Amino acid sequence: MAQDIELRRAGQVPVQVRPGRVKRARESPMGWLYTAPALLIFSVFIIGPTAYTFYVSTFHWNVLNTAMSRYVGLDNYSALFDSTTPSFLSSAWRSLYFSGAMVIGGTAVSLALALLLQRGGRVLGAARVALFAPHATPIVATSLAWVWIFNPQFGLADMLLKAFHLPVSQWLFSPTWAMPSVIVYSLWHEVGFTVVLFLGGLAVISPELGEAAQMDGANAWQQFWHVTWPQLRPVTLFVVVITSISSLQAFTQFYEMGKGGPVYATTTLSYLVYQEAFVLFDTGYGAALAVVLFIVTAAFTLLQRRTGERIADAG
Amino acid sequence: MTTLLQPEVRHRNSFRRRASARTALSRTLAVVIGLLFLVPFYYVVVTSLNSAGRSSSVSDILLPHWQWGNYARAWAAAPWPRLFLNTLLIAGATVLLALATSLLAGFAFGVMRFRGRGLLFGLVLAVLMVPSTVLIIPDYMIANDIHWLDTYWIQIVPWGASVFGIFLVRQFFLGLPQELFDAAELDGAGRLRMLWSVGMPMVRPALLIIALNVFMASWNSFLWPFIMTQNPDVQPVEVGLAAFAGVDGTDYPALSAAVVFTTVPVLGFFLVLQRHFITGAMSAAGGVRG
Repeated sequence: MAQDIELRRAGQVPVQVRPGRVKRARESPMGWLYTAPALLIFSVFIIGPTAYTFYVSTFHWNVLNTAMSRYVGLDNYSALFDSTTPSFLSSAWRSLYFSGAMVIGGTAVSLALALLLQRGGRVLGAARVALFAPHATPIVATSLAWVWIFNPQFGLADMLLKAFHLPVSQWLFSPTWAMPSVIVYSLWHEVGFTVVLFLGGLAVISPELGEAAQMDGANAWQQFWHVTWPQLRPVTLFVVVITSISSLQAFTQFYEMGKGGPVYATTTLSYLVYQEAFVLFDTGYGAALAVVLFIVTAAFTLLQRRTGERIADAG
Repeated sequence: MTTLLQPEVRHRNSFRRRASARTALSRTLAVVIGLLFLVPFYYVVVTSLNSAGRSSSVSDILLPHWQWGNYARAWAAAPWPRLFLNTLLIAGATVLLALATSLLAGFAFGVMRFRGRGLLFGLVLAVLMVPSTVLIIPDYMIANDIHWLDTYWIQIVPWGASVFGIFLVRQFFLGLPQELFDAAELDGAGRLRMLWSVGMPMVRPALLIIALNVFMASWNSFLWPFIMTQNPDVQPVEVGLAAFAGVDGTDYPALSAAVVFTTVPVLGFFLVLQRHFITGAMSAAGGVRG
């Protein structure tokens, strides 16, 4: 990158300029000073604390008196596999359940909606805004609204099912249906954003290929499958990765829609970190859970970066 | 000539008719889906205007009964003006800090050349790998040690640097013609002058996108302020709303009223600036290619 700038500048700078003068202002170790405020914040509140989490996870941490904390090595990690309620593995499974549904459902739904809304115009523009609006709302507020929608006594969901003489559900009060209910809410909240990401991807693909395929007699489905979809691969990957990362971190809707219940049915890894560290005060164990969560998230981010580089190389 | 063209024209007409039928169909579908996404908004407004336990039929729960008392009850239950003020103060200060740090670091990474630049930029990107759920435990301990629990500081400063913001400003600077800065240097402009009078006007669109994103993220955040604060004097409105739900969880009409009046400002803010939100997100996706 720097070479690129160097070359461009070499071509553009008039000959009579003394290079020494031009050099001084931009080529300077003062760059460290300019990046310092941001890097200071990152170091103190993100990079340092991440390392500290690893450290804490090797202790039986005493919340009231840190000096009383006892070094236990990897005990907190082995406890992951024999801890009782709710077990680490069952929470990891519920994280996977939630994230998998968000990634598969969210990507499919938002791609379909983006294709529907890709043409401009006032009507479709208004529909875009309607779809994006939930994403602009605070999760605390709108998940509370959905708790009311899912209420088995007075809620809209069961009222509609009854009106059509369909079997009703206990939704958030049912260990089976609580997670799907949270997923429905989360899709409603997130899909608008990923639709717009896909619209951004659709806006930069070349229309000529599609037109050529149409000339050759390809129908709409063939055109999508053989022409549009392959060109959307980079955006799709981006959507998949950011959706996995954000669903692994999701906390607020689980807190508001059932406090991880009923019977731990919505206790994901992120929720378990909160519960162990801030409700049960088993900070060391909570830190071990956080380390696992960090490793999974880092793996996804690196995956995104690698695929991102591959795309940049190809383009 | 005409005989030759005719089948072609006829074909094109039928194609056009089919295309317009499809457009009409997809428009209708788009309207229906758009309305479906708005149903929860309608529903929470109706609930906020109905009395509790009065829901026995579909019309009872889908039509408002204008019980404005719910709003009075909800408004009296918490120090809302204080909570709103806290949110505005926290979000506003976070935006200003994030803009300053992004502008400086983005300028350094995009325009300046210095030893260690690649290393520092790698460090910035590494920050993306850390989810906030991981940070909540150690940052709580740090906040406790430096006596920042229950303050505005802990809600502002940690979010005052944005990887997304630095990245966006850097991209904008890299996209600018370098002659701009050459000319400024010839005029004897110093770095800060160059950043302020040459760079700043050019990266204004990026700054707007950053400001909107940071503002919304700050307004909508929950886990962080929920863990870091206990005192309503410094708590943001979303934490106040969650506390209200914890205490009066069964008074749904009042709770819905609180949901409405806490969400209307942020939703209004979005609607006024929706064009910028949507183009901001779209350009993020368009940039994925390169």
